[in-house]
Amino acid sequence: MPELTYREAVRDAMSEAMRRDDDVFIMGEDIAEMGGSMGVTQGMLEEFGPDRVRNTPISEMAIVGSGVGAAIAGMRPIVEIMYQDFTTLAMEQLVSQAAKHRYMSGGQVKVPLTVRTQGGAGWSPGAQHAQQLEAWFVHVPGLKVVFPSTPADVHGLLWTSIYDDNPVLFFEHRTLYGIKGEVPDEIDGIELGKARVHREGEDVTVVATGRLVHEALGAAEEAEEEEGISVEVVDPRTLLPLDEETIVESVKKTSRCVVAHEAVVRMGFGAEVTAIVQEKAFDYLDAPIERVGSKFVPLPFAPVMEEFVIPHQADVLAAIKRTVGKK
Amino acid sequence: MANQVTLPRLGQGMESGTIVKWLKSEGEAVEKGEPLYELDTEKVTQEVEADFSGTLLKIMAGEGQEIEVGKAVAVIGEEGEEVSAESDDSAEGEVEDPTKVTEEEGAEEGEPAPEREEERKRGREADEPAPRPEVAEQRQDGGRVKASPLARRIARERGIDLSGLRGTGPEGRIVAEDVERAGAAPAVAAPAAAAAEAETIPLTGIRKTIARRMTEAWEAPAFQITMTADMSAAIRLREALVERTGEGEARPTYSDILTKVCAVALMRHRAMNALFAGDEIQLQPTANVGIAVAVPNGLVVPVLRNCEAKTIPQLAAERADVVDRTRGGKLQSQDLESGTFTISNLGMYGVERFVAVLNPPQAGILAVGAIEERAVVRDGEVVARPVMEMTLTCDHRSVDGATASEFLRTVKQFLEAPGLAL
Repeated sequence: MPELTYREAVRDAMSEAMRRDDDVFIMGEDIAEMGGSMGVTQGMLEEFGPDRVRNTPISEMAIVGSGVGAAIAGMRPIVEIMYQDFTTLAMEQLVSQAAKHRYMSGGQVKVPLTVRTQGGAGWSPGAQHAQQLEAWFVHVPGLKVVFPSTPADVHGLLWTSIYDDNPVLFFEHRTLYGIKGEVPDEIDGIELGKARVHREGEDVTVVATGRLVHEALGAAEEAEEEEGISVEVVDPRTLLPLDEETIVESVKKTSRCVVAHEAVVRMGFGAEVTAIVQEKAFDYLDAPIERVGSKFVPLPFAPVMEEFVIPHQADVLAAIKRTVGKK
Repeated sequence: MANQVTLPRLGQGMESGTIVKWLKSEGEAVEKGEPLYELDTEKVTQEVEADFSGTLLKIMAGEGQEIEVGKAVAVIGEEGEEVSAESDDSAEGEVEDPTKVTEEEGAEEGEPAPEREEERKRGREADEPAPRPEVAEQRQDGGRVKASPLARRIARERGIDLSGLRGTGPEGRIVAEDVERAGAAPAVAAPAAAAAEAETIPLTGIRKTIARRMTEAWEAPAFQITMTADMSAAIRLREALVERTGEGEARPTYSDILTKVCAVALMRHRAMNALFAGDEIQLQPTANVGIAVAVPNGLVVPVLRNCEAKTIPQLAAERADVVDRTRGGKLQSQDLESGTFTISNLGMYGVERFVAVLNPPQAGILAVGAIEERAVVRDGEVVARPVMEMTLTCDHRSVDGATASEFLRTVKQFLEAPGLAL
């Protein structure tokens, strides 16, 4: 199995789809000659040409809107929103157009659109270029929301998203682009709505997304070594649809739950997981569910402040310890 | 009044700074907000403004001197005001640590590149307020037991009362482990259950009375004698009595026969029908026989009066009534009074012989075992006979061994030949 970076895995999934299928094309700001602001689409213009690797004007509304139109017309477009903060400019197209046409047309129209975007703190992008807004879209019926944390997952999930007949919001994390991992020789889709259990444990379940999957795995190791606490780490990977069964079964086994993401805690994705767990595993809970996430402030630019605001391994570890009654 | 100017913390992680240049000199007037000195920290050089208006009375940190955060660098007050020498103590009372400063300087020179990484590290490690206030005490109120949902479910399934458990979880919450420990305690063998707490039963009511009375009894100098009676005749007698028992009447038992024969024997050996009253021995005119009855929480001894004058069916009827009332908790105090002798029968449990504890101030108590077929010698032959062992405990203050033996021999003879009791 080849080892790819998260960035290369994204590129590989898109390129493979474009090689096999003329209906797939990519579109976004600076994705052609520049290769994307995060370098994800580098080399794709050379391979696929300007008709299928298209630079757009700086108008997110237009990018998503034309993607919706192309999808309805039978293409499988992949559009890139440079920073997920900019999805705010395309909200109407995402929430009220892409998400609604299939329903409103009684199934006569499909919108097989993939909207790739990225975000995440840890490199001083400031308050307007690193928000984690995935929870907003989980609130919208008609959308699918994917948030992979490893090269293998981003590879397989992007493939499935491209071939899903519904609009998919596909979130990548800025600080994960460089991490490496093995991906299958032959590209293989990963079903949407299936969680990955990264690590099995007996005492507490950590449900983590994005960068926090890695922080949680570090915390799990530390908890095991230092305190003998056995931690299960579950990455839902797809936030909508959500693999509730895997999460609930895990909590039924461990009796304790921590949810962790980089987005702010308040009304974050973890709030939904918390609600589901208490509804479906109330009688199995031996401790209050802990939530880990960013403090409720705009993300500061100053590195020292930024690090203070966002969650880290130590925060996950502290939450794990609280659930088992250790300080 | 003079105010101390202390070195401010201008950023997280700043421990000290060096005053590059004073922008005011001693004796000069200063306005609050006016630049007072230039400060060089690890990161930047910047002007620091005065916190107070007045006259710069004294500069305490010279140019080029490194000062810890919180230490006084100057005094601003009214013109001509005296500045005491003691006042240059740090307002925050921070302890000087020269080695620390040296280390930091070294680190910065050695690693100029990761300046931001270092800053990031400080952010990651910065102390955070506790995410949740500890409100354990307040939450204890209202009589609500704090237990996790899982602990509640396990308790519900196993019928364990949570209110008796001590929580070891966060904020004193009862967690599953606490309930499991409590549930396991009775079922598990002693060593494994060692960690569990013993169940406490307060000494109240009947148990308190038993404890007091038995402790008193133990003070009496007691002795025991044992005899074995051949019960063949008594068995025939009981069968005859049972045959003649009418519908709804109490069936006579061996206890009833014993009550009768003991009562007659007591009348013939009145020294046994005695109460010890400290400075006298009271021989009682009638045989009032107490019979020990087990109840759920202990033992009571209701009394049948004038047993010597009653027939066995009469005694059976009285006994049945008083036992019913005992078990139904409907005894009256007079049911327990005026006893002169007690019989305790554990034969129904298969007990062969036992020693009863005296029932003071009575002189004796007869402990009766089970009727069993045993090999006995009759006319030189080993034969099987139904026999019963009786052990008489006596208060030696009231009676002696010979008296007791005569009484017990009479009881034995009556059981073996009931006609002798006529």
